[in-house]
Amino acid sequence: MVDTSVAKQLVQAIIDNLPAPVGPRRPVHTIGIGVKGEFVASNVARNYCIAEQFQGQPVPASVRFSNGLGGPDQHDGWSDVRGMATRFHISDGKGSDLIATTLGEFFVRNVDDFFKFTEIAKLAPYSRLSWWQKLCDLVKLKVPDRDPYLNETENVNAGALRYANQHRFAQLGVFQAAVIGAPVSYARASYHAVHTFWVTAPNGVRRPVRFSWQPVAGVCNTDPMAVPQDKYLFKELDERLKKWPARFMLMMTIGEAGDAIDDCTKPWPGTRLRISMGTLTLLKVSEDQEADGERISFNPNRLAPGIEPSADPILEARLGAYEASREIRGGCPFKWSKVDAG
Amino acid sequence: MPADEGLLDRIVNWLPTTLGFKRVASWILVPYWAHKTPVKPLPGGPHASFQHGDNVQCMMNLIMPLKVKSPIGRAEAALAIAQNKDAIYAGLNNVGTVHFARFVIVGDNICMFSVYDGDFTNYIRDFIATIGQVFNAVVSLVEGGDDVIPCEENVEAFIQWVHERDLYQVPDTPTDFLRDQEALNGDRAVSPVNDDLTLLPRKLVLQLRANPNVSLGSGYRAYPGYSAAQVRERLGLGW
Ligand code: HEM
Repeated sequence: MVDTSVAKQLVQAIIDNLPAPVGPRRPVHTIGIGVKGEFVASNVARNYCIAEQFQGQPVPASVRFSNGLGGPDQHDGWSDVRGMATRFHISDGKGSDLIATTLGEFFVRNVDDFFKFTEIAKLAPYSRLSWWQKLCDLVKLKVPDRDPYLNETENVNAGALRYANQHRFAQLGVFQAAVIGAPVSYARASYHAVHTFWVTAPNGVRRPVRFSWQPVAGVCNTDPMAVPQDKYLFKELDERLKKWPARFMLMMTIGEAGDAIDDCTKPWPGTRLRISMGTLTLLKVSEDQEADGERISFNPNRLAPGIEPSADPILEARLGAYEASREIRGGCPFKWSKVDAG
Repeated sequence: MPADEGLLDRIVNWLPTTLGFKRVASWILVPYWAHKTPVKPLPGGPHASFQHGDNVQCMMNLIMPLKVKSPIGRAEAALAIAQNKDAIYAGLNNVGTVHFARFVIVGDNICMFSVYDGDFTNYIRDFIATIGQVFNAVVSLVEGGDDVIPCEENVEAFIQWVHERDLYQVPDTPTDFLRDQEALNGDRAVSPVNDDLTLLPRKLVLQLRANPNVSLGSGYRAYPGYSAAQVRERLGLGW
């Protein structure tokens, strides 16, 4: 059951922490670009999952890349989490979504954590440390806080750090977010779907898995010492795709007994079985950005039969939160199994 | 560059990138903080594990300082390996749990790097049984080695000796590195805690002072989760 009041509170907590109103747009990952492509499953994918997109025939895909920060301003060059939301267009006009970010692990385990995090990690004024404070940090063998970017007057860094210092489960996500940097291209970052999903094989075996997209072009960030550019990612992607398609490999890691299934703050060891599930080929930036960059609405629980959400409370909460957010901003409703069944 | 940035700001931003600062920090700041906030060296070898995936393709990174630190000592080590080639192959084939094993000379150290399946203690025990004399030949050239050879007669002491020379495997995530240190110090607190994440760089520096040679991350695996036996079986290699 989706608790719509909690869903609305979640979205409201995000809206309350925006640097400026975003109008009828997403309250996080506000700045994004819609891309068209095609997914072809690997020849082993169907042995692990009966979902339609893994059977081997080409499946059209819509992808929205985004900057994680909420707010109307575009700051491509700032250190920020990036999003890659993918819809596999399966038959009968239905879709199966996979929402991923450049963050390997999330920073809260459940809705209560999320609300506490948003209370502590509020936007706060951010200014440059004096040379004296920086020198003190160096003497203590600490890395001084970076200087603010041009026009950056506030951020949530101090609050997020305070929260992480009090909650060890949050430390990995917060640490990774703090050092994440900016990619030179949306097509040159790895994206992780973070949660565990259950996939069903043709013989009925269900396996807990986690998905990641890996760029065939390789991972590459901008120079963190250089002055960041505000707008380059859209143009770069457009120019890249006009020359040549960009590709991502979909990797699926299979969990083992004892691995965190319902907790997206906990990583799985690199020693787990890893299956290459297929290749996504991005063909062009969509000409209709209103439809494919703005109104398109993803939900991590919109899944083709054969893939099920785990009981991760964050994944569960996102079911309602994304719908609530979509309604607020007038996003495109989309037929999908859970709603259809309801 | 922000307009209000003064000369001193620029100097302090540039300072940590300079060799001079790194030298001064290494001579003065690192020993000072090592004295003020002592750090114990983290133990080597794979982390305790219970799951299948963690029990296959484990890493051993053994660094053994040679007694004779010269080309002569290094040649002796090279010879000890070369003379025992047949014994090494026969031992590896018999033990059957090793994906690969290599001997490398770095500086005046003879190193043995291997990837094996199963428990570390059993791995070394199996090798003592099959190629004990190779170990004896190599270890006799190494500092502190005389105490544990012949290894066939000092099995437990030999295993412990090897373990002590197996490198600490820095985890894949910075937070697991912190958790390793906390566990070593007996701190198993969960939330709420009062950590200071900004101390991570210092903790890393001090650990690398206590433990100068480490292995970074859990290693990349092209076919994770498979044992040597499974790979051989699927490839039809006959054993
Ligand atoms: C309780 C936790 C979370 C909440 C409340 C939340 C909330 C939201 C909301 C309200 C949106 C805008 C949705 C829309 O209007 O269409 C959004 C977008 C997004 N979220 Fe989350 N989110 C959470 C966790 C996560 C996690 C764990 C990930 C990691 C995969 C993630 C990745 C994204 C991405 C990539 C987008 C942009 C999707 C697009 O391009 O349409 N979120 N989130």
